[in-house]
Amino acid sequence: MTESSNHEMNNEVPWHVRMIPFFDRYGILIVIVVMCLVLWAMQPEVFLSWRNISNIFKQTAANGMLSIGMFLVILTAGIDLSVGSVLALGMMTLAVSNASGVPWPIVLCLSPVMGMLAGFVNGVGITKLRMPHPFIMTLGMLFMARGLANLISGGVPYSGLPDPVRFLGSAQIYLGEFDGTRYNLPIVFLFTIFVYLVFWILLEHTVFGRRVYAIGGNPEAARVSGINVDRTLIIVYTICGFMAGVAGLIMAGRTNSGFPNAGQGMELEAIAAVIIGGASFFGGRGQVLGIFGGVLIMGLIRNGLNLNDVSTFWQQILIGGIIVLAVFIDVLRRDWGTRS
Amino acid sequence: MKRIIGLIAVIATGLLMTVSSVSAQKIVVSMKGPGAGNPFWAAVQRGAEEKAAELGVEVVVLAPPTESDVPAQIAQIEDQLVKGAAGIVLAPTDPNALAPVVDEAIADGVPVVFVDTKGANEGVTYIGTDNETGASLAATHICENVSAGSDVAILQGIITQSTGKARADGSNAGLTACGLNIVAEQTAEWDRAKGLAVMENILTGNPNLKAVFASNDNMALGAMEAIKNAGMLGDIFVVGFDANPDAAESVLAGEMAATVAQNPYNMGAIGVESVVSLINGGSLDPVIDTGTVLVTAENAADYQ
Repeated sequence: MTESSNHEMNNEVPWHVRMIPFFDRYGILIVIVVMCLVLWAMQPEVFLSWRNISNIFKQTAANGMLSIGMFLVILTAGIDLSVGSVLALGMMTLAVSNASGVPWPIVLCLSPVMGMLAGFVNGVGITKLRMPHPFIMTLGMLFMARGLANLISGGVPYSGLPDPVRFLGSAQIYLGEFDGTRYNLPIVFLFTIFVYLVFWILLEHTVFGRRVYAIGGNPEAARVSGINVDRTLIIVYTICGFMAGVAGLIMAGRTNSGFPNAGQGMELEAIAAVIIGGASFFGGRGQVLGIFGGVLIMGLIRNGLNLNDVSTFWQQILIGGIIVLAVFIDVLRRDWGTRS
Repeated sequence: MKRIIGLIAVIATGLLMTVSSVSAQKIVVSMKGPGAGNPFWAAVQRGAEEKAAELGVEVVVLAPPTESDVPAQIAQIEDQLVKGAAGIVLAPTDPNALAPVVDEAIADGVPVVFVDTKGANEGVTYIGTDNETGASLAATHICENVSAGSDVAILQGIITQSTGKARADGSNAGLTACGLNIVAEQTAEWDRAKGLAVMENILTGNPNLKAVFASNDNMALGAMEAIKNAGMLGDIFVVGFDANPDAAESVLAGEMAATVAQNPYNMGAIGVESVVSLINGGSLDPVIDTGTVLVTAENAADYQ
């Protein structure tokens, strides 16, 4: 090696290491832009059409709700396996009570309330019953909530919901007609943006948010610095359950029904979106914007492959591959970071 | 940089696997589950593809990864509508949940037909098994094989479901018409273990029973167990419904007498044919029967 390159190695940070903070912040946006370009190139007339874009948001909304709740839990180095089942429980409570004549303002609230209750039970189980790992408590809840959803519905779907209940999941604002195309803005799109803004404020600008990051970073340190870890965790799991209930409300609105096997496997999709979005499974690291990106990437893969008539088996393989890749990139990032 | 290149590579690999023609107008066949690993859906797919080739139209056959993945099926149809699907042949994973997207298609002027499972939308043609006809086919076979006036029994499915009710009604009408004496009509809820238990009770009360129609093969196989346990194998003529591989096995072994098969190939073929006729401005009957086939020892080997 020449003198000068030696010099460079010792005193200057290599370019790829210098880029780390940049990619940490904007990497996921670049990935999304590139994906959009590729998909646009493959389906030029269709992909960037307004209708397709609003479809992507309609299709990802439920996962978006589950993922942001899951993100909160994963920030505390926890996990919530029950969200898919809790979604179904909320949805079926809503649909069954509607069918038995409960007035719609109550029906509307039932799914989020059931979600909150399930989340609260998770939180209490993990902290007060001292379950060795959130995996166990929420695995238990996965079965209990699914069973309960089947029990109250007798395992059959219920359909026909009033418009106010369907509003969040299916209503659209008519924007007008240009060049003979009607432009509609799905309410659920605005709602998703709103929810993510709220979570961003919650995590970045409140004491609660700092506590969540602190617990995930080092629970013992958080405890000795005076944070009530148990209480914070109960709130975190309650919020996560609440979001699963909101997802149930959205899916009920979208499908105008409740079906007891809704949400099967969606806990894994939410975990996938959170991991792709750059959160660390060891807690304490990740950003709301990243999670939004993770959800969007999963939605783009699905949409893009559907538009190209690719079998759903490929979608599964691809999403699996991207999860592994996203984490591998994180491993590289750490390597480079520590060497410098 | 590596992050991006890596991701592009993965995405590109996936996408290059596709045969992406520039959004030609295609007929979308959306099945409940993938054809791979399920002979029923594989036959629907074959029927649709062969009929499309015959008519010179393009089809794309889609399915969610599992029959319970309702949102995936909805998303697939939404995405195909954006691409400008010419028509949709749909086997809904959940009739109610798929209803809004079917309405969306109809509002777009895209013709839709249901196959296999009747959807919830009014005025959309259903192409599938006429379960009542299938059950009376089974009843006729029983009539031809036991002497008039004999005691017979019916094991019903869940009769609050349309399939269960149609099979119960069809068999009852058929057995009554040829002068058989129906001594028991009980539900065993499509379940093999319940079929066994219900059959045990029926046998206890009706020692002269000569034939049983079970509304599906699971219950028929359960009933077979009860008959064997009672030492009456060969005395009672058992006909099931569905032609599942276990039942075909039992028919070949000379235990069950017969079962009734649906015709999934026709569902795919007639589905595509019907939607093409709608695209060309034709009209359809509200219900189109895809036919049922009696499966006896002669043809049971085809259903194993």
